[in-house]
Amino acid sequence: MTDLAASTRGLTKSYGHGDTLVHALRGVDLDLPAGRFTAIMGPSGSGKSTLMHCLAGLDQPTSGSVTVAGRELAGLDDDALTRFRRDHLGFVFQAFNLLPMLTAAQNIWLPTELAGRDRREPALAARFEQVVDTLGISSRLTHRPAEMSGGQQQRVAIARALVTAPAIVFADEPTGNLDSTTSAEVLAFLRRSVRELGQTVVMVTHETEAARYADDVIVLTDGQIASRVAA
Amino acid sequence: MRTVLLASLRTHTRRYGAALLAIVVGVVFIVVTAALSSSVRNGLSAGIGEPYAGADAVVDDPSPEDAARLIDAAAKSGADAWMIGWTTQQVARDGKVLDSSADVGQVPDRPERRWQKLVDGRFPSGPGEAVVDVNAAKVGEIGVGDHLRVGTGTGALDVTVTGLVDSPSTYSVASVYLLWSDLARWTDRLYVTSLAWSGSGDLAAARGAIDDVVPDADTVAVDAYVQKLQKDVNNGVDVIAIVVLLFAAIALLVAVLVINNTFAILFAQRARDFALLRCVGATRRQVVRSVRLESLALGVLAAVTGVLGGLGLGHGLVALVRHQWPSARLGPAEVAPVWLIAAAAVGLGVTLVAAWLPTRRVVRVSPLAALRPDDSTRVSTRTGRVRVVVGLAVVALGLAALAAAVAASSPPVLVVGGAGTFVGVLLLGPVLVPGLIRTAGRLAHRALGPVGRLAAGNAVRNPRRTAATAASLLIGVTLTTAVLTGMASSRTALSAEMDEQYPVDLAVTGTATLPPDVVTRLGAIDGVDGAVSVPGAPAEIAGLGKVPVVAEPSGAATGVRPVLHGDLPSVGSRQVVVPWDLLGDGVEPGDRVVVTVGDRSARLRVVGGEGWGEAALVSTSTLHRLAPGAATQAVWLRAADGADPQDLAGSVEAIGSPVGAGLQNGLARRSYVDVQLDVVTGGVVGLLGIAVVIALVGIANTLGLSVLERGREHALLRALGLTRRQVRRMLAAEAVLLAVVATLVGTTLGVLFAWAGVRALVEPAVDGAHVVLPWGQLALVVATSALAGLLAAVVPSRRAAKVTPAAGLALE
Ligand SMILES: Nc1ncnc2c1ncn2[C@@H]1O[C@H](COP(=O)(O)OP(=O)(O)O)[C@@H](O)[C@H]1O
Ligand SMILES: [Mg+2]
Repeated sequence: MTDLAASTRGLTKSYGHGDTLVHALRGVDLDLPAGRFTAIMGPSGSGKSTLMHCLAGLDQPTSGSVTVAGRELAGLDDDALTRFRRDHLGFVFQAFNLLPMLTAAQNIWLPTELAGRDRREPALAARFEQVVDTLGISSRLTHRPAEMSGGQQQRVAIARALVTAPAIVFADEPTGNLDSTTSAEVLAFLRRSVRELGQTVVMVTHETEAARYADDVIVLTDGQIASRVAA
Repeated sequence: MRTVLLASLRTHTRRYGAALLAIVVGVVFIVVTAALSSSVRNGLSAGIGEPYAGADAVVDDPSPEDAARLIDAAAKSGADAWMIGWTTQQVARDGKVLDSSADVGQVPDRPERRWQKLVDGRFPSGPGEAVVDVNAAKVGEIGVGDHLRVGTGTGALDVTVTGLVDSPSTYSVASVYLLWSDLARWTDRLYVTSLAWSGSGDLAAARGAIDDVVPDADTVAVDAYVQKLQKDVNNGVDVIAIVVLLFAAIALLVAVLVINNTFAILFAQRARDFALLRCVGATRRQVVRSVRLESLALGVLAAVTGVLGGLGLGHGLVALVRHQWPSARLGPAEVAPVWLIAAAAVGLGVTLVAAWLPTRRVVRVSPLAALRPDDSTRVSTRTGRVRVVVGLAVVALGLAALAAAVAASSPPVLVVGGAGTFVGVLLLGPVLVPGLIRTAGRLAHRALGPVGRLAAGNAVRNPRRTAATAASLLIGVTLTTAVLTGMASSRTALSAEMDEQYPVDLAVTGTATLPPDVVTRLGAIDGVDGAVSVPGAPAEIAGLGKVPVVAEPSGAATGVRPVLHGDLPSVGSRQVVVPWDLLGDGVEPGDRVVVTVGDRSARLRVVGGEGWGEAALVSTSTLHRLAPGAATQAVWLRAADGADPQDLAGSVEAIGSPVGAGLQNGLARRSYVDVQLDVVTGGVVGLLGIAVVIALVGIANTLGLSVLERGREHALLRALGLTRRQVRRMLAAEAVLLAVVATLVGTTLGVLFAWAGVRALVEPAVDGAHVVLPWGQLALVVATSALAGLLAAVVPSRRAAKVTPAAGLALE
């Protein structure tokens, strides 16, 4: 059987009201299998980011249910959601992934620290070594974001998302700011994390090129799932 | 560009809020100072000439003896003379002290000369009657018909209150007014400001008559004298206004730093907008002009708000004080237009000056900046080495100058050294302050975990901004702690001196031998820590009349509960120490006098001294010679810490009066000096507090603007698992770190300056003065600023925590 990493039922999200009402998501039913690399695609404004935000507990849906790692998110208050994200989810964003005043290593350890976990835990320390090696950033650990290239910053962000071994890593346009060579590298790393570390990754992208690295591709148009393609 | 200017004013006005507040507070400060000083001036000037109405001439500053002679001479020659002056006496009713140091003045004999305005009852018609000032009556709850005892001991006078009066002028007001026949007994303790003479109505004739009695009298025309008084009032008020304006200048200096920082931050945040404007074809000049106009608009708004607010607050305060405390005798507030214009100009000028440098930086924005990725949160570059070297050099020179000032006791060098050190520290600020915050951040990390480290990291990411924010607080804190330390040191020096001057808290001296149980009864009073019976005897000193002699009881200064604060003068066996105020008429220090007790007598050399009441001090052996069976002549009391001198005097009088004993209240004079120091310290700290408040507004401002910049970061942190409360805590910790570090640096500087000041100026002048650190007050300053930092973080941290992670991340 394939475990479900996350699922939604009748998920809707609207912004504004009256004249400014926008339906960003209109009844999305979605099952995301664990241990796979899923890409959510669609044109700009189709609701990809909104879907990811709802899935990741970053935003409250207008209606419908979201279950992530076996946990129903509706009804969790802000603090509970925050703790849930901290303990079970990883994030990679398009830009501004890293805190400028922290070094790469400090950025990677941040979620662990926030969760109050001891980074000397053998499992964590081993995972850190593995992730940092896999991403090839061991020589950059003492650098601050300003001293790193965009590709390196994204790799640090991926390392941070992976180090806690979260149930799902969410990536929103992780290659949006990168050139094609660097993009390819970052995408390859995401795929390796799925293959080699058994990670579940959900990536939002509007680039067809990027979607080619994924196992499954879900296409969103106008807030609804238009198609689902398994690679 | 008009549309751009208006649009940016609309969008950014809210962000200018705190800067606006900083200038407004400074302008309000100036206008309120003007309002209060005009009110004080009007209050002091009101009715200033009325006590001299009907006089032909005024004798300026006569000696009390001359005044007495002139009053007597006038009465004999059919002319009329009255003096404006006071003696300070204790006033009691039924053995309860109402005021241990009340001013007692004269009510002229002739009804038409009585310048006091009768409010109730009637003026005195003969000896033993008095009128009381209405405000003093209100405080002491004195009514017409009350019997008061004025003064203590043998010289005390019992009077009946026949009326309540009001004084037309602050300059001549007293608490109790007596007819000259009653007042004359205190001639040797009078302070006479002036004497009015009324004769034939001719100045020359008056001058002649006065010269006949007192040849060297300073006789002037009434108008000339009143003008001189008015000028004194004006000068006095001007001096105070200038001192207060000095504090306004400090507050405005802090405001300049705050606004400058605001402009720098806002323009940095808007660099992309400016670059975009340049891209679409705005010239450099057009961009700068629009930014300058923006600061001009802000300055005008602040100036107008400040002037209006200041007028409202100033008039409000004056009206409140006049209504609640009529005895403060404030006049109506009239702020001259020139003040309003000046205050507005200062507010506007301060804004423009503060905006000047940041707007120049705007000029340097190249159109290309718009095309680069947003770098507003980039960690700013390291501070130039030049700045560090110059800063270190200036600090070194400043410290050297301070050391030189201490060695040479030179005030100018002290000022130069202090200013140099301060400027050097400000120059080093961008290195020093972040360094200290990083160190303090380790503690924060330990206390708050990752939140603490994030806070410390945030606090130092923009060293220049951090240093500028810290500098604004530094100014106020340095001055405050310097004043506190300086005052604490002076206070110890003074208190050592007071110990010498008033070794006895309360001296109860009998005219006759006191009953033996008096000492136990006095010692049992609540608030009395120790009582000692002082041996002595009623005596007669040739040339001085009846003066009891006493000898220092053994162990009074050293006993288990020492009664004396300091040492009494050591008395040789052939000496007698006579209170200073008995000396002068006939008997001088160094004279030999015969002291007689009963049928025994001794020839002793006179020495002047004071501090143990109305008795002459002799050595124990001399006393033994004069009065072998000496019994209790006086009782000396030591008051408990914090005992109220007035209450204590009342309780002591209740026991002392019935046995004919007089009281000298050293405690009251000592606490009077304490109160004066408290008032000065409180006033200075209060005025500096305004600068500190502005600096805290600045901290809130910097933090608020940073929060706007860091919206994405906060969203990211929230996504990564920081709870709302942790976000708030992070910002609060940042503000507290900044405030506490600035305060610690300021306190260090303040203490250093106070140390140098005390070493250079106070120690050479006052024996036994040394630097005293008021640890409690300094700790309070640090704690207050930490608390204020928390307060400053309230609004920004709420705003920051409100950002939902999704909304923050969607700002693409
Ligand atoms: N905070 C918001 N307020 C109002 N409308 C929003 C907000 N966020 C997204 N939208 C709207 O919802 C729709 C979907 O947006 P989004 O999920 O960001 O699309 P995508 O990521 O696919 O480009 C768009 O029409 C967008 O304008
Ligand atoms: Mg999107």
